[in-house]
Order: sequence, then structure tokens, then C-alpha cells
Amino acid sequence: MNLFQAFKMAFKSIACKKTRSFLTMLGIIIGVGSVVIMVSVVQGQNQKNMEYYEKMGSNKINVSAYSYYGNGDDISQKLYAYCQSMPDLVLGITPNIQVWNDMTIQYGAKTLSTQNYDNWEDMIQVVLGSDQYGVCNNYELAGGRELSYLDIQNTNNVCILGGRIKENLFNFVDPVGQNITINGQPFQVVGWYERKDLEGWPELDNIILLPYTFNRSMNNNQPISDYVVKARSASATVEAMTRLSAFIDGLFPKNAEGYSDYGSGGVSSDNASAESIQQQSNMQAMVLGGIAAISLLVGGIGIMNIMLVTVTERTREIGIRKAIGAERRSIIAQFLIEAAVICGIGGVLGIGLGYVGTLIAGKFLLNGMQLLPSPMITLGAFLFSVVLGVIFGMYPAIKASGLQPVEALRAE
Amino acid sequence: MLIDIRNLYKIYNEGKESEVRALDGVTLQIDRGEFVAIVGQSGSGKSTLMNVLGCLDVPTYGDYFLNGTDITSLNDRKLARIRNREIGFVFQGYNLIQELDALENVTLPLIYRGVPAWDREDMALDALARVGMEDRAHHRPGEMSGGQQQRVAIARAIAAKPPIIMADEPTGALDSKTGKQVLGILQELYREGTTVLLITHDDHIAATAPRVVRLSDGHIISDAPQEVDWI
Repeated sequence: MNLFQAFKMAFKSIACKKTRSFLTMLGIIIGVGSVVIMVSVVQGQNQKNMEYYEKMGSNKINVSAYSYYGNGDDISQKLYAYCQSMPDLVLGITPNIQVWNDMTIQYGAKTLSTQNYDNWEDMIQVVLGSDQYGVCNNYELAGGRELSYLDIQNTNNVCILGGRIKENLFNFVDPVGQNITINGQPFQVVGWYERKDLEGWPELDNIILLPYTFNRSMNNNQPISDYVVKARSASATVEAMTRLSAFIDGLFPKNAEGYSDYGSGGVSSDNASAESIQQQSNMQAMVLGGIAAISLLVGGIGIMNIMLVTVTERTREIGIRKAIGAERRSIIAQFLIEAAVICGIGGVLGIGLGYVGTLIAGKFLLNGMQLLPSPMITLGAFLFSVVLGVIFGMYPAIKASGLQPVEALRAE
Repeated sequence: MLIDIRNLYKIYNEGKESEVRALDGVTLQIDRGEFVAIVGQSGSGKSTLMNVLGCLDVPTYGDYFLNGTDITSLNDRKLARIRNREIGFVFQGYNLIQELDALENVTLPLIYRGVPAWDREDMALDALARVGMEDRAHHRPGEMSGGQQQRVAIARAIAAKPPIIMADEPTGALDSKTGKQVLGILQELYREGTTVLLITHDDHIAATAPRVVRLSDGHIISDAPQEVDWI
């Protein structure tokens, strides 16, 4: 008997008992479906998390350097100069400051505010940075120019707009050269950034960037303590972090007890956070996938149970088949293929359920994200269910094939 | 000599109080092309004898040579081959597979034999035609009468053209008219040269065979030729 015949027999036998075959499959369908859904949702969540880091740019180093004396201007200068001195590692450095005072921006009849709590998607942020702010925070210039070194030195009244603000104030008109007022003070727009459109983070496109030397007037002369350094690569990030850490230690010499009387600071990188989030979500995928796999296992035991019942029920049929010349391996093949086909069909239906479930989960759990299971999960789930069928079909098949024909024929 | 058994025993629960000697030292030779009726009352051991002769069961002691081959030394796989190629069975309860239609039932031994698909259907249809069932090829057993089912079972037994047909009470569940039809087919097979073994408790049915072996309590009590009642 060849394999094709065995498959034909298996399909026939399943088709003859549709309800029972379907109920048997149900365990596999639910099991495979839940594995696909759970793993896909975790992967989707992960993808969303990683999107944030991608939009924010990788190889970013967050530097804090807080001087106990003065307003930190000298520290900014020193860090800036130090970073410029290692162009092979560093692409740029900028202070990373937000203006916390209430700000109102006007252009013609249009007004935007930092206090627009009714419509937080249009709430703006006034940020202060260096000529390298765009590079450091992964903004792409859409038109005009970046801030210049001289703008900072001279505290020029110039600004760069985020993509949403540009659209809100100017629509499709080129804003370069136009004047807006910030709390009554005129600023000339010199450029604007492309929108990032990162879901859940509208404020990234609602920034107005000013030279950081406005810190004195706009932020009540609070010291600048936070910086962002953009490194050239992942390995440059590691090296630059080491060097910057040493540099900050040099700025704030420590006393005998290991504390500094001059200031404090440190460096951290988003790369590490991104990695740990990745690891975390892999872990989540494994845990949830594991739970789902248990339900698959239960489904598999259901298959074994049904196959055993089937063997008992069909003992006479096995006897007939043996009497007319079926070899032991033909009987094994018949029952094994039947179990594998049931599980395989169940797997396919389960994958279908998984796709629908994943689409729904993406819509409701992940803010309308277009989520689909990866081909790897799909293939894996299918193979797993077939293997399950073979494993749990093995025992009943062997049991069925071992019967003496005369004993099997005696069964009613 | 086609079938040669010597001192064959089949003992259940040997050595215990409930010991049953279904075959108690049976010696029997059957030549190729013979038509032998094995007759005995219920419990005489005739069905056990057929099961052993048909390689459906193994004897406890004794020798069994089929066509010169020592059957008692064969493994499961070789026994399956002998059942498939040498012997066609007809059972009292027809023993058709309910999920399969007549044609599929008749095809089954050919599948196990490895006959190519394009030959199988022709052979199966030929066999059905021989028993007059070709127009019922696509009916399932449940849709046929007992006599029709038994004829399909005979078609299945002869589809692969085995040299031996073993029929265990083939008319037991049939009325006398359809029973006669079935016996007629067996006689026809015999006339064509097939060796036929007919197991029955009924002397009238046994009368269709030229040689009668009588069994009682696991012993052969007589073995003689007789006048044949040709149908």
C-alpha cells in the first residue's frame, strides 16, 4: 500500500465522521489559534516599542552633567567642545531642554499654546538645543536650514518648527523667513522638520526649536544639565560613553569618600533599553506561547483519546483488513496518517482562527495596528500540530496493529 | 499437496482448570483443486480449524505446511502476504467495511497487494461481475441485502484470484434461495480449479462438496468422498 492510498483512506475515514472529527480537531484549532495570536500580539507590541527607538534614532547617548555652581553654561561649552574633538565617534551633541513656562505662539490670527490640555495632540513644546539638535534627535530637515553656531552664540531670534506645527500654522506655505511671536517676542522661522508620525507621540512633531542660549531668559536661568550625544555607530556608542563618563568625572573631581562637591552626572544609552525591551518581549512571547502550547498539548491528548476510541470501535475493521492481507505497517500508517491529517486540518483551521484573532487583537489591543502573524509562526504552528498528531497517534496505531486477526474479527 | 497439517493442537488456557482443546491432534491433507466441506456442530473446532488454516490464528502445537511452506515459522509480515495472495475469505457476517462502497471493499485486497491503480478497478469490476453485483458497485453495505453483501464479500475474496477460498458458514445469515446462489458460486469456482474449503454445521450445505470432513470435540471423526448435490 502506498502513501497516496493511505492518505486517501485517512481522508475518507475523517469525512465519514465529520462531527466527531471536527470536535477532535477543536482542541488543535483552539491551541494553534491561541499560539498564533499570542505570539503575534507580543511580536506586534515589540515592533511598536522598537518603532519608538527607531524613530528616536539609535546610538543615542543621554548625558547628564549637573553643576552645583553657576548655570551650567561653561559645562555646555566644554561638553560641546569635547564632542567636537572626537568627530570619528560623535555625530553631534545638543542640550536637551524643554521650556516649562507657559508659552503662546502666534502667527497672524492663529494661536498655539503649551497649555492646550483640551486638545493635547496640538499641545506644543518649546525646546532648546544646539545646531546639532536635528542630528541628535533624528529629525530630518524638510525645508530651510538648521540652527547655526552663530544663532547660538548671538542668541538670534530664530526657530525651527516641527512638522505638525508647520502644518497648523502655515498649511502648505513655505514658512521660511516668516515671523511668528513667542510670548510676544518675534522669531524668524529658518527651517522645519519632516513629521515623525510616531503613534502615541504627537509632541515629537509639535516642537519649536530655539537656540539653547534662550535658556536664561525663558527657563528662569535654570542650569542646563541634560544633553543628547549622537554616536556614529553601536560600537562608537560604547566607546563614546566610556570617554564621556571619564570626561564628566574630570569635570566634577571626587573627594576621598567618592563624592564630588562640584556636581554630578552620568551617561546612559537607549541602545541598552531597546535591547532589554527586546529581551523582555521575547520572554513574554515565550511565556505566553508556552501557555498556549499547553492548550495544544491538551488538544493532542484529546486526539490520542479519540484515536484510542476509534481503534476500539474499529477493531473489527482492523481484523478485516488484516484478514485480507494488510500488513502491520499498513495499519500503523493508516491510523498515524489519520491522526496527522486530523491534526493537520485542525492546524490549518487554527491558523485561520489565529489570523482573524490577530487582526482583531491588532485593531483593539494595539490601537488599530495592522498586525499579521509572521510566516515563521504560521509554518511552525502547522508543523507542530502535525507532529502532535503523529506523536499522539502513535500509541493507538501500534495498539491497533498488534492485534491477532482472529481476535480482532471477534470484536463486535 | 496444497494443505498438509499434522497433529495440530489449539489449546486455550493450557494447564488450567478451564483448559479447552479446540483442536486436539488434527491431521489433514488437502490437494490442489479439491472442494472440501468441514462439518461439525457448534464447538466442534471447525471455525478454529479454518482460522488456523487461513493464517488468522496460530496453532499451539503441530505442523502446518501450505504449498510446502512451514507456516508456523513465518513472521507477521509473511503471514499477511499469504493471507493476501493465497487465500480469499468469505465470512458468515460478510465482514465488509461499512464506510466503503462495494467496489472499494473489493479493491482493498488489491491495494494491499500493490496492484497498480489502473488494473485494480478492472479486476474489482470483473470480480463483481462474476457474482452479478456490477450494477451495485457504488452501493455501501448498508444499502444492500444480506445476499448481496455476501456476494460482494465473495467478489472481494476472488478479486486477487487466490488459489484457495475459505468460506466460514457463508450461507448462515441468508435465506435458502440466496444461500443457494452463494453455494452455486463456490461450486463454479471449484469447477474452475480453485481449492474451496467450506465450513458449515449443516449437512445439506455440506452436500454441495465432493469431500466431507467431520469434526467433533477437536477430532476428525470421518473423512470421506460423497455424492455431490450440484446446484
